[in-house]
Parts: sequence; structure tokens; C-alpha cells
Amino acid sequence: LSDPFFYVRAVHFAATLLVAGVAFFVVCIAEPAFRTAKDGSRVAGVVRSRLTFLAWLALALAVVSGAAWLVLTAAAMSQQPPAEVVSQGVLWTVLSSTTFGNDWLARFALACLFAVLLAPGLSQRRIESRPVKAALVIVAAAFAGSLAWAGHAAGGLGVEAIVHPAADALHLVAAAAWVGALLPLWLLLQAAASDGGSLAVARTATLRFSTLGMAAVATILATGSINAWCLVGSFAALAGTDYGRLLSVKVVLFFVMVAVAAFNRLGLMPHLVADGHPAATVTALRQLRRNAAFETAAGAIIIAIVAVLGTLPPASHASHHPVYGGIPADASFQHIHTGQGMADVMIEPGRVGTTRATIHLWDDDFNELDAQAVTFTLTPPAAGGKPLTRPAVQDADGAWVVDGIELSQPGNWTVTVDAVLGPGNRLVLEAPIVIDPKQ
Amino acid sequence: MRTLILIVSLLLVPLLPNAALAHAFLDHASPLVGSTVAAAPHEVALWFTQDLEPAFSSVEVTDAGGARVDQGKAAVSANTMRIGLKSLGSGTYRVRWHALSVDTHTTEGSFTFHVGGP
Repeated sequence: LSDPFFYVRAVHFAATLLVAGVAFFVVCIAEPAFRTAKDGSRVAGVVRSRLTFLAWLALALAVVSGAAWLVLTAAAMSQQPPAEVVSQGVLWTVLSSTTFGNDWLARFALACLFAVLLAPGLSQRRIESRPVKAALVIVAAAFAGSLAWAGHAAGGLGVEAIVHPAADALHLVAAAAWVGALLPLWLLLQAAASDGGSLAVARTATLRFSTLGMAAVATILATGSINAWCLVGSFAALAGTDYGRLLSVKVVLFFVMVAVAAFNRLGLMPHLVADGHPAATVTALRQLRRNAAFETAAGAIIIAIVAVLGTLPPASHASHHPVYGGIPADASFQHIHTGQGMADVMIEPGRVGTTRATIHLWDDDFNELDAQAVTFTLTPPAAGGKPLTRPAVQDADGAWVVDGIELSQPGNWTVTVDAVLGPGNRLVLEAPIVIDPKQ
Repeated sequence: MRTLILIVSLLLVPLLPNAALAHAFLDHASPLVGSTVAAAPHEVALWFTQDLEPAFSSVEVTDAGGARVDQGKAAVSANTMRIGLKSLGSGTYRVRWHALSVDTHTTEGSFTFHVGGP
């Protein structure tokens, strides 16, 4: 958590969801609810001005944190310190010629458009114009959804290149409509509670919020499953990697929020009727407000988790550690690929002397292969050389290891991996591997 | 009950096998990683598991003494990276690659190949 990237991402996600959430809330929930206010009620004016302040604050935070995100990403891409990135024109290269940069340019344009719409659209006055309302909703959705192209979703190939970013964009829009609108809802309920005649406003707003929320929850669930499928891939990866475990915490928090929302709808909202018991109504309203604050806090924790997840290698990649972390400079590495399966063989150090071999086995789809036993053979380059055959031992990470191999000569050795996958089911892989002379 | 079944089935979706990955890992290369080739290749080609950002992806090829034997700039297109080679004699060559994937993550690695007989 000492990484500044975490804070920048968390603030940017929160600000983006909030500004989009306010826009959705004003158009779809608050304005229709204000129509039910009694004559002379001040609630609409109070809520409009607070939401306007919130929207401007969130938009400003989104732009500032977005700029910081750009600088940090450009620094990581160019492997230069942030100060150099700004002074040496790297920023423009990132903006003009990378997917992330193009997305960021588009999002900056959307932020400007947002500001233009906010000026007349969100003020103490009511939004009259339908085109302005529609534009506000569309720009809000685009601003939240376009965050998808700044992260892991941008990386797929083939079908996934379309499905994953589309699912992620919808996920973000739905999150903005629900999580981003919780704070606005809390503000509205607060204002309605301090204004005795605004029960109808609170009731309409809560009902509409709940309906919008149910659509958002369904969307989040469906698109979240697609994202998880793309980025986690297996139940083992969900339980066995930091990415998977953190994602599980996020999912649990999400279901807690859904449970609270269900209680609001089924348990509290029936009390918000005009002819209900006044004391029960006041209690229900207070509890709804408290729950909205609780859900906002849970949403904030989820956003913090998302900020961390974006910086971790997704679970579906973690198994690639040897390649992901870079192969050590003095290692010999061979990737053996056949129709039946694959092996990554690393001999470290890859030179004459005592050395160690590490073997990772995959199936054709890069899922880890479970083997019962693995035998490792190295055949020396010279004709008549005696092959070294040794059983491999599986380590805690699932890799097969052979320690203390004595390599007698440099040159082009042949490596053979013989894996027993089941009764009568063997995988034999063979390939050349270069061994350097002794240093 | 129907809703419950729907929720449970959606939760089971992540358990389905997954054929694709992100992050630019080296999928395969020509000449093959660790291989011995009889004739000197004119270029090294690398295929990655993800599309690359040309502006920030690079590869260099060096001989056993550490001298550059590539033609300078790599051509990067979608998920492949290619670099031309000077004429190579027999010996072991090291390929060092640095890739920035379109999801903004960098990966790097190296491998050797051998030209000529053992």
C-alpha cells in the first residue's frame, strides 16, 4: 500500500463512479421524486445544490487523479521517473500511441463535456430539457464505462478482446448507477428527514433507487462473472492467488450490500407510506439513511480493493511466474509445445557445473497439468554420452524440480520430460536446450 | 427459488475452463527458444499472448561477447515483434525482449538460441 498508484487509482475510481452516479441519480431518481414534493417544500432546492457541489467536486477529483494516473503509467511504461516523463515528451507518446493513452484522451474529452452539461444541467434549478437529461446520462455512462480500457480488460485476444472490455464497461456503468448513487441517496434522505413534509419525496426516491439498484445488481453479477472468467479462470486460481482471494473479499462485500438493499426494499420501504404510523415511518427513514451510509462505506472498500486488483497480475497469469518475472539471465529456458501439452523447462544456471532444473507442465490451454510423477532426462551433445535420468520432485507451487544435476560439457543438450498423468496416460516432451561453458 | 438457481449458476461461471489469457507473455519464438539452427536466421520473431504497444516494446539480440547483432529497431504489430539480424556466424545468441501489453503492464525475459553444429 506504499505504492502511490494505489491511492491514485482508488481516488479516480471513486470520483468517476460518484460523478456518474450523481448524474444518474439526478435524472432517474431525484427529479422524478421532487415532483411529489408538497408546495412550499424546500427539499428539492437543498438537495439540488448539494448534489451540484458533489458533482463538481467529484469531477475535479477525477480529472486531477486521472492526470496523476497518466503520469504514473507513462513512468512505468517508459521506465523513467515521473518528473522526466513530463519534461521529455513521453506523456504525448503515451497519449497518442497507446491504447491507454487514447482512452485517457477520450475520457478527458468526456470530462470536459460533463462540465459543459453540469453547468446548466445541474444547478439549483430543475433540468427541463430532455436532450440535456439524455446527454447527461449518456456522458456519465461513457465516462464510467471507458475506464474499462485502462485496465486488464483491454488485453484480450480474439473473442475476449470484444467480450471482456464490453462486460467490464457495463460493470462500471452499473456500479456507478448503484454504488455511485448511494451518497446522493443519503443526502436526499437526510434533507427529506429534516423537512417534515417530504415523506413522499423520500418514498419515491427510495423506490426508484431500489428498482434501478436491482437492474444494476443483476448487471454487476452477470458482467462480474464474465470478468472473473477472463481474469481468474479457475476455482483453484480464486483460492490460490492473492488476486483471487482479494476478489473473493470483494464478492462477499457485494453480497452484504445486496442483502442490505433487499432488507431496505422488503423490510423498511413498506413503512414509508403516507398513512402509516408516524413513529414507524420516522424510524424506517432513519434506518434507510443509516443503511445508505453503511452501503457507501462498503462500496468505498470495494473500490479500494479494485484499485489493488488492477495492480496485481490477474490470477489466470500468476501460474506464468517464470516468464512473467523474467527468466534469470544465467538460466537456460525451453518452452516445449505439443498438441498434448506443454512444458516450461528452466535450467539454472544454464552452464557446465552443478545446476537445477525446474519444470512447469500445462495443457494446451495453459491450465496447470496434474502429473503423478515426472522423470527428467538430459542427453549430452556428444555421441555416446550417457543420458542423465532423474525423478523430479514437486514443490509447493506445483513445479517439478530436480536438484544437483552435474552438467559435464557445454553445447546443445536434449531435454526429455516424461510425465505420468494417469494409468496408461503419459506425456513425453523432448527438445534441445543450450548449455553454456563454465564461467 | 428460480432467482437462487440463477444466482448460483452465475457464480459457477468462473469455474468454466478458460482458454485465453492477458499480459504479454512470450508464446513462442523463431528461432525456437533454446533451439539450435543449422543456418543463420535473418530475423528473430517473437509471438506474445497479448497485443503489444509498439512505442514501448523492444527486443535486442547479442552474441556471446555481448555485442549487438540485430539491425536496431524492432517491428511491432499486434502480438508479434520482429527484428532483423546482421549475418551471424556459428555461436550462441541471446534474445532479450521487453514488452508493454495494451493493458499497460510490462513483461520482459530472455532466451538463447544456437547457430551451427553443436
